[in-house]
Amino acid sequence: MRLHQDWSLPAVTAGFVAVLVSYAGPLAIFFQAAQSAEISGAMMTSWVWAISMGAAVSGIGLSLWLRVPVVTAWSAPGTALLVTLFPELSLGEAVGAYLTAASVLLVIGITGSFDRIIRTIPPGIASAMMAGILFQFGVGVFVSLESVPALAIGMLLAYLVFKRLTPRYSLVLLLIVGVVLAVVLEGASLEGVTLALASPQLIRPEWTWQGTLSLAIPLVLVSLTGQFLPGMAILRTSGYNTPARPIVTVASLTSLATACFGGITTVVAAITAAICTSPEAHEDPDKRYVAGVANGVFYLVGGTFAGTIVALFTSLPGEFVAVLAGLALIGAITSNVSAFAAQKDHLEASVITFIATASGMSFLGLGSAFWGVVVGALAYALLHRPLAIPRRRAATENTRR
Amino acid sequence: MKHIEKGVGLMSAPRDFIRDLNADNLSAGLVAGIFGLSAGIIHISAGTAAGLPQEFTLLWVISYLMINGLFGLFLPAYYRLPLPMANSIPGALLFAAIIPVVGLNEALGATLIAGAISLVVGLAGMMSLVMRLIPMPIVMGMVAGILLKFGINMVMPLQNAMLPAAVMILSFFFAARYLRPVPPLVVTLLVGVAYMALSGADLSSVEFSVRFPEFIMPAFTLDAFLAYGLPLALILVGMETPAGVGLVKGMGYKEAPANAITALGGFGTMVSAFFNLHSTCIAAPMTGICSGPEAGSHDKRWVAAVVVGIIFVVAAPFYGFVFSLIEAMPSYFIAIIAGLALLRVIGSAMHMTFSGKHEVGAMFSFLIAVSGLQILGIGSSFWALVLGAGLSMLVEFKDFDFGFERPRFRKAG
Repeated sequence: MRLHQDWSLPAVTAGFVAVLVSYAGPLAIFFQAAQSAEISGAMMTSWVWAISMGAAVSGIGLSLWLRVPVVTAWSAPGTALLVTLFPELSLGEAVGAYLTAASVLLVIGITGSFDRIIRTIPPGIASAMMAGILFQFGVGVFVSLESVPALAIGMLLAYLVFKRLTPRYSLVLLLIVGVVLAVVLEGASLEGVTLALASPQLIRPEWTWQGTLSLAIPLVLVSLTGQFLPGMAILRTSGYNTPARPIVTVASLTSLATACFGGITTVVAAITAAICTSPEAHEDPDKRYVAGVANGVFYLVGGTFAGTIVALFTSLPGEFVAVLAGLALIGAITSNVSAFAAQKDHLEASVITFIATASGMSFLGLGSAFWGVVVGALAYALLHRPLAIPRRRAATENTRR
Repeated sequence: MKHIEKGVGLMSAPRDFIRDLNADNLSAGLVAGIFGLSAGIIHISAGTAAGLPQEFTLLWVISYLMINGLFGLFLPAYYRLPLPMANSIPGALLFAAIIPVVGLNEALGATLIAGAISLVVGLAGMMSLVMRLIPMPIVMGMVAGILLKFGINMVMPLQNAMLPAAVMILSFFFAARYLRPVPPLVVTLLVGVAYMALSGADLSSVEFSVRFPEFIMPAFTLDAFLAYGLPLALILVGMETPAGVGLVKGMGYKEAPANAITALGGFGTMVSAFFNLHSTCIAAPMTGICSGPEAGSHDKRWVAAVVVGIIFVVAAPFYGFVFSLIEAMPSYFIAIIAGLALLRVIGSAMHMTFSGKHEVGAMFSFLIAVSGLQILGIGSSFWALVLGAGLSMLVEFKDFDFGFERPRFRKAG
């Protein structure tokens, strides 16, 4: 066992910060999903337990096995998707869709076709759908600004100042400032927040084609393009030449196990991964895996006391959660919008994907993320895909211009 | 007058209009014109919501078309640039809401002062300063945010009118790819009308009437100025002009005359005040349609804006008729046409918003414009600019270019 030799304080701190950031930001979205599903506190506790355990087990396992700081988490765009689908979608249907999505990802993992699939999705369409799903959270910040101006403006300014001073801790500091502001300005009471052990609750899965089309398929897509792709990219740019196969496989096996307790798909972290893979975690890249392990251990702790985390969020006003979630996602929204808006070659198809996804429309019981992909793919095929006779088209294009 | 930009001139304009007219700019002008006519619906619903008499609302819309249309003939013809004129929609909502509070004549008095402020800003050449304080990505973020609503209105009909909406949207993509010599919007328009005719749209409510704008004397009160005149001036100078100028510049017309647009808009607003109308200014969505790639070759797109002016002036007396005709078409019809017409514009606005500098300010401007946030009775497009620029100064001050800072730096060094 090498772990006790490689142990270092910065690596453990990095793991701790990564967990704290996940609970401070992306969890707020999951919490909004829970609010729109109108579930009980006990059920919400079970959800938080499940996603924490999924992240803990897969993160510790993969980091120890591969000796690479693999940080796993729950699919943040997936939880954003949930907000728009509840309460029309039942809990059982959601769990059924989690299981379907996890199985599809497992097949992708085992067959090792991750890189091939990523290449066939037009990059603009993928980022446009991501941006469309996340977009309403950004807008939510300013919708809340009208009802609770002091709290929203205070948090907005705090976020910008912290972002400038210490980008790494900005979300954690924002959470602290936000809680203080909510207590002082809005009279929120934290009396109900006590240490409480979580007790997971089982949900019976239910399969319907609405659940499959509006949740499972978009969930697979956003998990691949919004989590695994950037997550793997972060690992690779940090110098870890890890194959995607074991990571995708282990993450989806974990997802299968946690799904029935309300745990949405476990994936490679995108927002927090860089905290553990950067030199700040440890100067020696071969010893940074400790940060990944520590990250998992802190998730174990967080999952065990999931009840406390849920109590904290429920005792704060809904607008607080909306502003927190929106600010946590601003970076992701900006990078996804920039990613598709900067690409001139299939801009129109991307824009219509973004518009349709962001519109929040639903038809035949299917959500806007699904229709966004359908409309976007149609537009891409009709407007931008090379024709069978590309040479003649190129010639006519040139004479037009 | 030294700050007012020189244009090509009006003498040869009618001849050049005939020379430059083609299917692309004519169809873009038609679409923008129809879009502008349909914007009258916003006035009518705002007027109805505020409890204003039907009679006044009709005169309001007729003045809108006649006066804005007349100014809209001159500006694009003089500069040979796609600069259609209309009025401020946020201003219209403000106007309708304030009339019951301060009275019609008093509201028009405040309009007159707001127009004068805009005229002075334009004549003094301060528009370039205003536009430097509010950089292009932030302006474009606001524009993209406003236009996004038109895009979303286009896809919303897919929910409850799936078939006609899908037919119209697909016909646009199809025509864009396979029928390229024909402007895709014309194809969509024809397909849409054909669909409506086949599905038996009810035209029995259409009726004919002829009305002209009527003169009215403005009155002045401080209340009306503070509650409505000042916000209107801010909207005209701080938002409508930057949005329009930003759009045409973004479409490659670098020489867009910001001061002249502000000054003429101010003068037009002063004239408007005597005819039941709240403003004259450059119209962002219509500018988008007239200056975008759908309007054909770059140097001939000005024709589209003149076509809009002609449509406005000709249609104005008969608006009672036009209105009842638009009412007869399902509401999603014009929403889809407008959305498709603006699709490329939304794309290029977003492209310019997120192309490097002021990323944070631009994102916030975009989000605020979409959110519909309203503080102190002033709408989101104003706050998008002010907060976007403010936040941008806070976190990315280095991206600002004030022009006059560099020499001072050299001296210090």
